[in-house]
Amino acid sequence: MTLEVSHLVGGYSQIPVLKDISFDVKDGELVGLIGLNGAGKSTTINHIIGLLTPQKGTIKINGLTITEDNQEFKQQIAYIPEMPILYQELTLREHIELTIMAYGLDHEKAWKRATELLKIFRLENKLDWFPANFSKGMKQKVMIACAFVTEAPLMIIDEPFLGLDPLAVHDLLSLIEERKKAGASVLMSTHALDTAEKYCDRFVLLHDGQVKIEGSLAELRQALPGVGETLDDIYMSFTKADQR
Amino acid sequence: MSKLFRQRLTKHLSEMARYLRYVFNDHFVIALMFMVGGLGFGYSNGLKGLETGIWWAPYVVIFTLLLLLQLGRLATLMNDADVVFLLPRERSMHAYFINAKNYSEIMAMLIQIVGWFVLIPFIRVTDDVSWLFLFELLVTQLILKDAFLERELVLRYQYRIKIIQSSILFKWLLPVIVIGVSYLVNPVFGLVLAIILNIGIRYISFNRWQKVQIDWNKAIMMENNRMLGIYRFFNLFTNVPSITGSVKRRRYLDFIVNRIKPTRENTYLYLFSRSILRGTEFGSLYLRLTLLGMVLLVFIQQQWLIVVLTILFIYLIGFQLIPSYFHFDDIVFTHLYPINEKQKLDNFSRTTAIALSITAVLLAGTTLIAQQDWKTALISLVLEGIEILLLVKFYIPGRLLPNKSSN
Repeated sequence: MTLEVSHLVGGYSQIPVLKDISFDVKDGELVGLIGLNGAGKSTTINHIIGLLTPQKGTIKINGLTITEDNQEFKQQIAYIPEMPILYQELTLREHIELTIMAYGLDHEKAWKRATELLKIFRLENKLDWFPANFSKGMKQKVMIACAFVTEAPLMIIDEPFLGLDPLAVHDLLSLIEERKKAGASVLMSTHALDTAEKYCDRFVLLHDGQVKIEGSLAELRQALPGVGETLDDIYMSFTKADQR
Repeated sequence: MSKLFRQRLTKHLSEMARYLRYVFNDHFVIALMFMVGGLGFGYSNGLKGLETGIWWAPYVVIFTLLLLLQLGRLATLMNDADVVFLLPRERSMHAYFINAKNYSEIMAMLIQIVGWFVLIPFIRVTDDVSWLFLFELLVTQLILKDAFLERELVLRYQYRIKIIQSSILFKWLLPVIVIGVSYLVNPVFGLVLAIILNIGIRYISFNRWQKVQIDWNKAIMMENNRMLGIYRFFNLFTNVPSITGSVKRRRYLDFIVNRIKPTRENTYLYLFSRSILRGTEFGSLYLRLTLLGMVLLVFIQQQWLIVVLTILFIYLIGFQLIPSYFHFDDIVFTHLYPINEKQKLDNFSRTTAIALSITAVLLAGTTLIAQQDWKTALISLVLEGIEILLLVKFYIPGRLLPNKSSN
C-alpha cells in the first residue's frame, strides 16, 4: 500500500503549520518521521488520517483520496496515537471486539490474531478489565494490539516507544517487521533516533513545517558529508545549523 | 491561602453564572415550572387528606430531614495540579480548607432552611407542634449539617478514624438518632446530642490536623466528583467541555449488551448501549429521571396530568440523551473507523428508541398498578409510542444533522 503526500499545506488554523510537504511511503517500507517538538509531525499525521483537511495539496493511499471514498480510505489505515486513547466504558475484550466490528474483519480470524497479540504483550488475562485504568505502558500496548488486529495495509504510528518496557519495544519492532513483510507500509514518528536508525528504511526530516531532507541513511550521509555517521549526528547538524 | 481560595471562588462563581444562563434560557424553564407547580399542587392536595395524629407522619418527617442533610457538599475548588504545586504549602492548606468550608456552609444552610420551610405545612397538619419546636428542629438540623461539613474537611486528611470514615455511621445512623430523639422524645435532647456530635468532630479537626498529612489524591478526587455532578447537570442544557463521567462495570447488565450482533452496522450500537449502561453520565441520568417519573405517577390522580406528565418525561429523557451522541467524539478512533455518519445516527436512534420504550412501559405500568386505571395507562402508552417515534424519526435527526457541518 503506497502513501503519497504531495505539496501538503495545512494546519489547525488559517496560518499553515505545514508548508508544502511531499513524501511517500512505499509498499513494505518503514519510514521514520523525524523532527523537533513542534516541527509538524503530529499535524502531518492528523492530515493523513483525515482529522484535518489540507488547505492545499493531496494525500493519496494507492491513488485514492479521502474525498473520493471516505470509507475505503479509512479502511486502509490503522493508527497508534502518541497518547493512548481508550473508551472509558469498554473492557479490553470489547476494545478488540469493537475494532473488529468497525473494520468489518472476519471474526474468528481476527480473534485468533488478537489472542496472539495479547499474549505477546502479556495482557491475555486482563480481557475483562477496563484498560482506561491501566498504566501508560499497558494502555499503549492495548493501542498497539487494536491497531495490529486490523491488519490494515497502512500503519500510522505516532511516537510509540514512550512508556513501553524494553521487551515491548522489541516486540513492537518485530510486529512492524512482520507487517512490512506482508507488504504493509508503515509511517512512524519518533524521537528515538538510534532505534529509528536501526529499523527504518527511510527517513523524512521535518523542520519548521518543511521537509528538510528525505532518504535512506546512506542517502542522508551522502547529501551531508562530514557531519557524522549516525542519524543523531545528521539530525543535530540540521537543528544546530538552523539555530545559528 | 485565603487569597487563593477567594481568587478561585471568584473564577468558580463566574463560571457557574455563565452556565446558569444556559440553564434558565431554554424551554426547560417552562417544563420546570410545570413540574414544580405540579408537585406543589400535589403536595397541597395530599395535605388535605391528612389529619393530626397519623402514626407514620413523624417517620416521614424524620426520613425527609435525614435525606435533606445529605444535600450540600464541601466545595474545596481544588485542581488536579494542586498535588504538585501546593504540596510544599501543605500546612497552610488548612486555612484554605476553612475558607472552603465557610463558603460551602452558605449553600448547605440555605438548602436546609428551604427544605425545612417546605416541610412545615406537613408537620403542622399531622402534628400539634409549637413554632418553638419547629425552630429547635431547624437549629438541630443546621448544627448537624455543620458537623457533616466539618467531617468532609476531616476526610481530606489521612485520618484513620472508623467512626468518621464510615458514611453509613456518620451520615445516616448518628443523625437519624439525633433527629429521632428531637422529633419523638424531646427537641432539647436532640439539640444537645447534635451539639455533642458537632463538638466531637470539631475537637478532632481542631486538635489533630497539624499532625496528619493531607490526602491529596482523595481530596482532589472528591472535588472532581463534586464538580462532575455540577457539570453533568449543566451538560443537560449545554455542552460542557471536558466532562468525563465515571464508569461502573455492572456485569449483571451484560446480558443486554451481549444481544448485540458484532457486525459493522452495529458498531455504534455497541458503543452507545455500553455508555448508557455503564457510564454514570447518561445512565444514571436516565435511571433517575425514569424513577422520578414513576414516583410522581404514584401520587398523581388526575388523568390529564398523568398523560401530560408521561409525555413530558419521555421528552425530557430523550432530549437529555441527545448529547450522548457526541460522547465518543473525543476518541480519535471514532473518526478513523470506516463507518459513515448515517450508520452512527441510525444506531443512536435505535439506542434511544429502546431506552425510551423501556421508560414508556415502566411509566404506563406504574399508572396501571398505582392507579388501577388501565384506560389512562393505555392512552399514555399509545401516546408515548407515537412520541418516541416522532422523536427518533424526526426530532433527533433534525437536531443532530445540522451539527455535522459545524463539526
